[in-house]
Amino acid sequence: MGRQNQAKEALILLRNRLCNPRFVFAPFSLSPDSNYSKLKFIVSSSVTEASNNSALLLGPRGCGKNAVLELVIEDMLKEYPDTVSVIKLNGLLHSDDNCALKEIARQLCMEHQLLFSKMASFDDNTQFMISMLKECGLAHKTVIFVLDEFDSFAQGKQRLLYSLLDAMQSLTSQAVVIGVSCRLDADQLLEKRVRSRFSHRKLLFLPPSKEDLLRILKHILELPTDSSLPHDYVAEFNSSLLNILADERFKQLIDTLTNSDSTCNHLLKFLFSAVCHMNVETGLLSIDNFKAALPSIQRQPKLECLKDCSILELYILICMRRLEVKEQESYNFNSVMKEYKSIHNSFQTSDYYSRNVCLRAFEHLLACELISFMDHRGHNQSIEFRPVKLLISYHELYQGLKLYRSCPAILQKLIDREG
Amino acid sequence: MPTIALNDSLPLAAGDELKCGTAVKPGRSAETCFTGDATPRKRKMRSDSAAEDNQITTTTPPPKPCTPTKWKSPRRCVDDSPISPPFFELSEICIDTEQLRAVKEALHVSSVPSMVVCREDEQKRVLEFCKQCIEQEKAGSLYVCGCPGTGKSLSIERVKESLLDWAKEVGYQPPDVLDVNCTSLTNAPEIFSKILGKNLPQKKTKSATSPLQHLQSLYSQNQQSTSMKMTLIIADELDYLITKDQAVLHDLFMLTTFPFSRCILIGIANAIDLADRFLPRLLSLNCKPVVLTFRAYTKDQIMVILRQRLTALPYNVFQPQALELCARKVAAASGDMRKVLCICRSAIEMLEAELMPSKYNLDLLSTDNGYSDDWTTPAIDPIKQEIDVVRIDHMAVALSKTYRSPIVETIQSLPQHQQIVLCSAVKLFRRGKKDTTVGELSKSYLDICKLTVIPPVGIMDLSSMCRVLGDQGLFKVGQAREDKLRRVTLKVDESDIAFALQNSGLRELE
Repeated sequence: MGRQNQAKEALILLRNRLCNPRFVFAPFSLSPDSNYSKLKFIVSSSVTEASNNSALLLGPRGCGKNAVLELVIEDMLKEYPDTVSVIKLNGLLHSDDNCALKEIARQLCMEHQLLFSKMASFDDNTQFMISMLKECGLAHKTVIFVLDEFDSFAQGKQRLLYSLLDAMQSLTSQAVVIGVSCRLDADQLLEKRVRSRFSHRKLLFLPPSKEDLLRILKHILELPTDSSLPHDYVAEFNSSLLNILADERFKQLIDTLTNSDSTCNHLLKFLFSAVCHMNVETGLLSIDNFKAALPSIQRQPKLECLKDCSILELYILICMRRLEVKEQESYNFNSVMKEYKSIHNSFQTSDYYSRNVCLRAFEHLLACELISFMDHRGHNQSIEFRPVKLLISYHELYQGLKLYRSCPAILQKLIDREG
Repeated sequence: MPTIALNDSLPLAAGDELKCGTAVKPGRSAETCFTGDATPRKRKMRSDSAAEDNQITTTTPPPKPCTPTKWKSPRRCVDDSPISPPFFELSEICIDTEQLRAVKEALHVSSVPSMVVCREDEQKRVLEFCKQCIEQEKAGSLYVCGCPGTGKSLSIERVKESLLDWAKEVGYQPPDVLDVNCTSLTNAPEIFSKILGKNLPQKKTKSATSPLQHLQSLYSQNQQSTSMKMTLIIADELDYLITKDQAVLHDLFMLTTFPFSRCILIGIANAIDLADRFLPRLLSLNCKPVVLTFRAYTKDQIMVILRQRLTALPYNVFQPQALELCARKVAAASGDMRKVLCICRSAIEMLEAELMPSKYNLDLLSTDNGYSDDWTTPAIDPIKQEIDVVRIDHMAVALSKTYRSPIVETIQSLPQHQQIVLCSAVKLFRRGKKDTTVGELSKSYLDICKLTVIPPVGIMDLSSMCRVLGDQGLFKVGQAREDKLRRVTLKVDESDIAFALQNSGLRELE
């Protein structure tokens, strides 16, 4: 009983960690040339030196740009509580200049407890922003502008970017503009004069390398020794975890996971699923948990569909594949039946069903969306004459047949031939 | 760092420095200097002085505590030293964070020097033009063009001030000045109401006539205008006024052609041929604006400007070669002064970052050895005085950070299947086509997977990978009804991809 409770507590702890980006990216703050430290240096030096600065955070989605930015901002607010105010804009919501300025004015009002009027015009808002920046500059307060989805701001005439960056060219304002974008060429999208005013500090966020990946895994999954859990349980958990991490099969598993998507986000989703599979009886993670989590992340809906098909339906799919290989551009049910007959003739199979039964199977395949009609004309024609096409690729078919519970050898032979 | 050692080694170090141009750090002088001449001195330093950073390298405790008394602040010792060579700026030896801060401030884009150098000719021309207009009480238009960061707005600001001063001196009525940045206008014709606002501040503009018509009528009548002051209109970022029918820009310049017009119009923009492209009718009326081009800065001009900013400070933070490298690189690329200042600041930051960990190390060691009081009484920590100048390597790193595109690094860090997708796109486009559909791409992808014996992913994963690559700006993916029919174009150069993937094993396919 006690063990189960401990296991449940450990589970809660792990799940909390996985959902908390602060925890996941915190170890990066320790190394001096991580992006976290560089960003912190840029922002804190602008705050302490009372100068203007701009930076761009680039990298694929899910690599922790926003998470690291949040961490840095939190640190800034803690270290300099009264001298930093943050304005956040998002390119998907505020890409229109009017909208963006309104939002800036509203956030500035909220920060400084002023009344915001919805009726204020574009001009009023611009004037307000410029005068607020001046006031903040005089009071030695730094305003940090965070522009999410920066590339959306770079569409159109880029007025907002120009006015923000231009305001930073004067001595009276103290602002830091941080753009976050997943487009690598985000600064090429800027107009010449906006780009000239932008200081070219770019921080590149990349998905973690293999060593970093293992380090992150260890950091997240190792239970802390100073928690409320008993020592021996924690020691047992951690040692079994280390064993798993050193296992070759685990490394292969992680490779399969990261081969198509190696971002942090993806990894965290996988870990969450794996941790949820943990057996509360033993209270320890095992490699099977990770194996069980993999299919839920890398789903193959067509293969799952294929598992439910009957053997006749598999025959029909293979006939269609053979017709495709023979480079027949369009074929319909009748040609598939001909092919089926020819297979039966050449291989003397025992499964030879009548036309009606085959038609039923055909309709079932249509309903499953493993095949479909070529186009949506010809509603008047009966099913047998309308051209059809396969919606499942050769590889998926091949894999599905391999996984099929009792696939007849003849089908395997037929599909092997195509290879 | 004992002062005696400093005195001893300095002339040699200076000479060596001149020879090879690298900064000498007295803290590690013996090591970084040329061993041939330095080693005898090194031994002398060791025996004479208390440890300095020989303590860092060896763990022998310093021999006598008498040497700390010879410690003086390096600056002072430098002045005292009888052998200090005249050509070597010894004051640059000890830099601390305050000074670096001051330099960074001096190099910030927003700190404007009192005199704008390297633009004297252009400023003179504009000033002459304005003076002429005021003297003859005639209207005129001038168009200033040039690449971003060439000092246009800055120079015109100065000209404005000098013009007002001159007018007061000579006794002419100083003109009204309207400085408007056209990006702040909601719509283009608003500029006329702004000009009108300046001209007749009391009059309300709620009349039936538009501001433009008002202005036009104002400038066509004699009596009212002769009593009016001249108006100097400075329109920055003029190309924001370009509308579809180019009416606004045209009317603006036409204002200066009216018989009793009183405005001097100076327009600033980037396009060199704005006047020709958008104001063709003016040529026929023989009133094209005078065009003044601000050329991009050359390397020498950049050096002059940098020196002007830095001479205000009593110490040197940059190695001259580093400044020259920066000036050369930027002059070759764009001649943009803002970029130069930004890169210099970035180089200083790199220096700061380099110094910070070493400061920790040295502080720790000094307190460990128990010499804390004596050794740190001079305000500046003596151990820490390596010659902290920004060297060429700092500048080179700052330059590469600015000019490098992150594409190669990103491609190298992509997961394997996404790299294969990129390769398959390159292969497809080799045959001359420039865009393809996702379906075709998947066929090429499957071929490559077969060649490299890597199990391919399904079509759903493939199309989501295409979307991810499109998000990052490597592909351009269009919209279509069906997933398979979306058009895909490559936005990155093939050679970049080939370069990035050359070590990854996929290269052989190309």
